[in-house]
Amino acid sequence: MNSTRRCFVRFMMSTKALVPGASWPCSNLGPAAQILRTFRVSGTVAKKKSRPVRTGYDEKPERERSLVADDDDDDDPFERAAREAGTKAAFDGLLDVFVRRDVRRRGHVEFIYAALRKMPDFGVEHDIAVYNKLLDVFPKEVFVPRNFIQRMFNHYPRQQECAIQVLEQMENYGLMPNVETKVLLVQIFGEKSHPMRKYQRMMYWFPKFKHANPYPVPLQLPRDPVDLARFSLNRIAHDLDARVAVYQFPSTEVSETGEKVSRPHVVGIQSPEQRRLLAEHNPSRPVFVEGPFPLWLRKTCVHYYVLRADPLPPEEKVEESIDPERSFFYPLELDLDLDRDFGDLDSFDVDEVEEGPVFAMCMAGQADQATLAKWISGLQETNPILGRTPILFRLESGPRELQQATESEPEPSAEEEPLHSQGMKQ
Amino acid sequence: MALTSARLLTRTVHEKWICAHSLTLRPLVCINKAAFYGEYRRPGQAQDRTPPWKKIRFSFAKGVQGIRKHFGLLKDEAMERWVGPQGRPLIEHMLEQTRVQWEFRGPESLEQWLVSTDREIGGRSEAYLKLGRNDSACMLYGTLCSTPPRDGETCYSGYCTLRSRQLLSSFDRKKNIDWSSFNTLYIRLRGDGRPWMINIAAETYFSHQKDDLYNYFLYTRGGPYWQDVKIPFSKFFLSSRGRIQDNQHPLWLDKVSTIGFTLGDKADGPFQLEIDFIAVCNDRAHTEEFAYEMYKRNPEV
Repeated sequence: MNSTRRCFVRFMMSTKALVPGASWPCSNLGPAAQILRTFRVSGTVAKKKSRPVRTGYDEKPERERSLVADDDDDDDPFERAAREAGTKAAFDGLLDVFVRRDVRRRGHVEFIYAALRKMPDFGVEHDIAVYNKLLDVFPKEVFVPRNFIQRMFNHYPRQQECAIQVLEQMENYGLMPNVETKVLLVQIFGEKSHPMRKYQRMMYWFPKFKHANPYPVPLQLPRDPVDLARFSLNRIAHDLDARVAVYQFPSTEVSETGEKVSRPHVVGIQSPEQRRLLAEHNPSRPVFVEGPFPLWLRKTCVHYYVLRADPLPPEEKVEESIDPERSFFYPLELDLDLDRDFGDLDSFDVDEVEEGPVFAMCMAGQADQATLAKWISGLQETNPILGRTPILFRLESGPRELQQATESEPEPSAEEEPLHSQGMKQ
Repeated sequence: MALTSARLLTRTVHEKWICAHSLTLRPLVCINKAAFYGEYRRPGQAQDRTPPWKKIRFSFAKGVQGIRKHFGLLKDEAMERWVGPQGRPLIEHMLEQTRVQWEFRGPESLEQWLVSTDREIGGRSEAYLKLGRNDSACMLYGTLCSTPPRDGETCYSGYCTLRSRQLLSSFDRKKNIDWSSFNTLYIRLRGDGRPWMINIAAETYFSHQKDDLYNYFLYTRGGPYWQDVKIPFSKFFLSSRGRIQDNQHPLWLDKVSTIGFTLGDKADGPFQLEIDFIAVCNDRAHTEEFAYEMYKRNPEV
């Protein structure tokens, strides 16, 4: 027995000597302490309970000392701190308290799970530094496998799962780990552990898809509603020639009777092509103001309105021929009698969706007819045909102002949409 | 963000697969499809311990109907060989550069699609599919809600899926689509600015590959204009049960079984997606075979 133990000590020492960069956190305790440390299980409570997060049900004396408690416990330090000051400093302070409390970091797995759950309450779920600090709670070099058998099996599985959960939460919030994360993971779990693999996978795939979106949305949307409207309208217009016009800036003023009158913003966009289409529109046919249609920019939803007409009936359609003298430099239309066979046909064999033309788009601060009428009157300056054209408002129930929309129900149009179809079908 | 949407809960969608191997008994005896693979059992739900022979529902009328349908299909299959491969003339088979695979014209085109949400796992999202005005361009709409079900085990929720049904030939054999002469997926759609994910399921050999999907992202612009999306098949990456795999492989296009669209961007609220048609084309300018490294594991470990 004694000889085996001595043997083990020698083996431990040689492993330590083999690892060049290994620095033992409490090396002043000597090799005996290290042997003890190898047998120690850091989450003693976790061994007894199957659920890692829940702890302290049946251990009353443990409960007072434990930093982590149940959801419904009022003594949860996270809940208390989130109620008092849900900031990053408070969260960091909690982590510091836990780290300083015990050298052995007893119960750190439960602490990290609890911290992960409470991160959105503190508003730190998008902060990479906080995640690194959270990983720093793990004791270093205790969970690094030291021989091939440990390396072969899942060494300290609960701790590894916990670290994977930290990385997964980072992944869910779209955060890319940095070098500090890597260094921490190597120190805690070693080079080829499961959290390290997870880190490598994230570092491989995240940059691949970082710029995959052809219509990128900035992480921080502009605060100003006019700027936000400008950005959204430019996005949906899909035309570089389109010009944004602000018809009314948001303002609040006190009227003569002493009431506060707030004017919502009205921002519109129109491209030269849309202006041409509107100029060609037959004034006897009505145009429609439709909306609100949703547009999602990451997690925020904005609404826009569209000025459009019904599709032309087939008898009114005119085949337009391009004037051959419109461009002297290159032909706008080529009708060469080439021998093209089936293999040169690159078009798709589908019927076009019949839709009316879109003349302009706008975003407004309020979804009522009076606000949108400002937009139309502003449009009239550049499009005089709107003065002669009947304009119908087809405003469907908006997201908030359900009552107002029913009041401003327009004249019964030819086809009433069912309630669900508040889409932008023509 | 990208990886996030890659991890969509596509498992339940898979279990809707129609799998039928019993060639002769099929028309006469209706065996529950769930008996083969088993439906998704929610945590806490009791296991279905009914013996399989009690699930057999014998119906003579249904059998006659089935025999009629399947022999009709068999006859069609036999006859279309005389026209050319896959029932199309040879010149078309060899030279076609574009093919419209699914288009939404008329109510019968909606029957080829399945809509599913996280309601199957206990979530609260809703999704509906309907035809647009003039019987053109389907519209998928609903509400996304990413509150996970309170069953103590499910951590993530919030997805809505549109998936094409598996095509079946006579006697309910799987009929796969051959896209090997094309290299690009072409979709005409109109969304509301949300990112979607395209899932292509190809026929696999081993049963442990039945959850393999090839995914890529579909970003919508939003607005009143239609949007033409071209995605080369070389961009699609392999995932299984919503996790990107380390060993990547290009999508084999000769046996494509279904295509699906999944939304799971964790933005709670209403969504809508209109699809005009889904086609494949041959982009001669695109020569890439696979966009991800194959000479090593991704990442190298």
